[in-house]
Amino acid sequence: MQNKDTSMIDINDANNAQDKKGDTSLAHSFSQMNVDTANGLEPRPQISGRQRSRSTLIFDDDDEIPPYTDHQEHGSSNISDSDIDDNSSGNDSDAYMNDDESLRLQPSHEQDQGLKNQDQQMQMQMHPHEPQLPSPSQQPQFVPSQNQPNNVMVPVDITWQQGGQKAYVTGSFTGWRKMIGLVPVPGQPGILHVKLQLPPGTHRFRFIVDNELRFSDYLPTATDQMGNFVNYLEVVAPNQHAVSPNNNIVEDNTNWGAGEERNQSEGGKPPLYKEQQNQTNRQGTSKTERKEPMSARSRIALEIESEPDDMGNGFSRFHSQELLAPKIEYTKDIPAVFTDPTVMEQYYLTLDQQQNNHQNMAWLTPPQLPPHLENVILNSYSNSQGQNSENTSGALPIPNHVILNHLATSSIKHNTLCVASIVRYKQKYVTQILYAPLQ
Amino acid sequence: MNETGAVSDSHDVEKVLVEQKLAVESIRTFLKSKTSYDVLPVSYRLVVLDTSLLVKKSLNVLLQNNIVSAPLWDSKSSKFAGLLTSNDFINVIQYYFSNPDKFELIDKLQLEGLRDVERAIGVEPLDTASIHPSRPLFEACLKMLDSKSRRIPLIDKDEETHREIVVSVLTQYRILKFVSLNCRETHFLKRPIGDLGIVSDHEVKSCHMTTPVIDVIQLLSQGGVSSIPIVDDQGILVNVYEAVDVLGLIKGGIYNDLSLSVGEALMRRSDDFEGVYTCTRNDRLSTIMDNIRKSRVHRFFVVDEAGRLAGVLTLSDILNYILLGAN
Repeated sequence: MQNKDTSMIDINDANNAQDKKGDTSLAHSFSQMNVDTANGLEPRPQISGRQRSRSTLIFDDDDEIPPYTDHQEHGSSNISDSDIDDNSSGNDSDAYMNDDESLRLQPSHEQDQGLKNQDQQMQMQMHPHEPQLPSPSQQPQFVPSQNQPNNVMVPVDITWQQGGQKAYVTGSFTGWRKMIGLVPVPGQPGILHVKLQLPPGTHRFRFIVDNELRFSDYLPTATDQMGNFVNYLEVVAPNQHAVSPNNNIVEDNTNWGAGEERNQSEGGKPPLYKEQQNQTNRQGTSKTERKEPMSARSRIALEIESEPDDMGNGFSRFHSQELLAPKIEYTKDIPAVFTDPTVMEQYYLTLDQQQNNHQNMAWLTPPQLPPHLENVILNSYSNSQGQNSENTSGALPIPNHVILNHLATSSIKHNTLCVASIVRYKQKYVTQILYAPLQ
Repeated sequence: MNETGAVSDSHDVEKVLVEQKLAVESIRTFLKSKTSYDVLPVSYRLVVLDTSLLVKKSLNVLLQNNIVSAPLWDSKSSKFAGLLTSNDFINVIQYYFSNPDKFELIDKLQLEGLRDVERAIGVEPLDTASIHPSRPLFEACLKMLDSKSRRIPLIDKDEETHREIVVSVLTQYRILKFVSLNCRETHFLKRPIGDLGIVSDHEVKSCHMTTPVIDVIQLLSQGGVSSIPIVDDQGILVNVYEAVDVLGLIKGGIYNDLSLSVGEALMRRSDDFEGVYTCTRNDRLSTIMDNIRKSRVHRFFVVDEAGRLAGVLTLSDILNYILLGAN
């Protein structure tokens, strides 16, 4: 579920970020990357440190995520193409394509072209043997990427039952570019279907029925951030697949690092050095393992987990496990600090001494009230009601319902405590003010 | 006066009589159709005093909140414990005046001890009649008149705990103001008040500016009235001493000023005093109701052409007339 949501967001974020960003700068950074990759520059450790601290920033501030995610998507798509073992043209590259597609709806995107060309270039450079994405097919059986012996694909049946002569389905699994034809179900007139082999994850799609873009009322629907109404379905990987998550992390880590690097536009910095570095470091473990599609967000999370604890610049990683480490025991005995007034006094005195000077007696100050409780209608009480006539009935403003049944107090004066609370009486509100002496 | 004038006069008188009768009946219907709950504002405050509060502290609370009365709450039994009114302070003053050696007791007197003070000075405890808020207003008015009280607490029971809830306190003034604000029929009460037999014009106790204030307080207590008019040697009305004025007199728990004259005691009165309202026997009830609507007036002194005190028209007189009179 989460995976689905995240990848949805990823796409949208990608679109957004790309729209926001200057087109030229992005194109620039990509072309830069291309050159660097070709040259195969050496890794530079100090940059790697900087990059890692960036990854912490992402977690500090959610707003940071969209641009990074964007970069990451492009990066991963490129990398996965460039990776020899990589067969997943599933979510990631699809995401990229989708992004591509939506951009193309806008007039004249230089960078768009640049991206595509570059993408192809990369593919060509690194994998001369790898087949291109499958071309549009009329066959009921469609496998987005055939060359994936280790990757898990799940057979999914997509049906169209809202009439029409010719129906096609297009979606994130084809990069929204290719249309897959549906065939009639034998014995069930008016129902068309196609069986797809899809990688696990969330797939968004629409139908083209008799040259009209439509969505099915019988499948889950959602709008993406562009406002397009799409069908979606979540493909869950079968349990038996034996891919070690660790190795996925390693791979994804690589991708992400490279992608991010590339898009920082740090002026001549080798964008893929990280990938190379990681590959050399981890080749032993990751060589034969396959990765599965994963949302960008979880990749970021996993990436951070897999990084060294020392993050540079004096930062070290926060481990939630460390918090859990001390063993907590429950007791039935109330600690003496709550029962024995002398111990309690001693405790507070110690607190006081620890936070000396300005924090003195801070424990005596009650915490700040929520803002809606700050407005006490009794404070706006006035004896005059209108211009001349006096407020003989004690009328008050109508209270906000959130302050009902709350206890308000005044400070104790002359040993008299004054408390007030607003309660409903039928359709009206009584603000009872009780004056009582301190015993 | 010529003949046609007389005829038209008698015709008019007839018309006024009928109109007033219809108007009073209409007001009664109104009071029967509305409940005490209806008089309450949508949101209002209610000051309640714990019975263990010291009397002198409660006085400060009343003055601080600009009120003259408050319901009492017995926190030990979780019950309504009556109303604190200016009468209670008058009792305390009288008790102290006859027992000057008991200052210590007075100083430490709690609200729950007020009943003992009542007994000590031989005053009949006021009937603390109460009424459920959803009963008709007419019934609440009748109960108030029966108990000779100027206010009536509205008491309900909590559905879950079955404990008493003090919902509010209605006063005669509030009810009459409610009537004058919401009954257009009050405009047809055109008969002179002198003809209605509602003005108390004999045995109206009065005092002079030089009368000791303690004597005036005793007059208030003995007569069971809420005010004593102050007249000069010619009997011309010059001021009034109200029961609520004793609150200012003993403000801060000081009972030393009881030897003052009433004129000096009036100097303690706050600036927002409403003033003394007068009327003549020829004034109409509609005019009286107009004034009740506009100002916080609790009685009208009836004066003659020279301004001499001739009687008093209290809110209970008016209420009594609307509820029961004019047949």
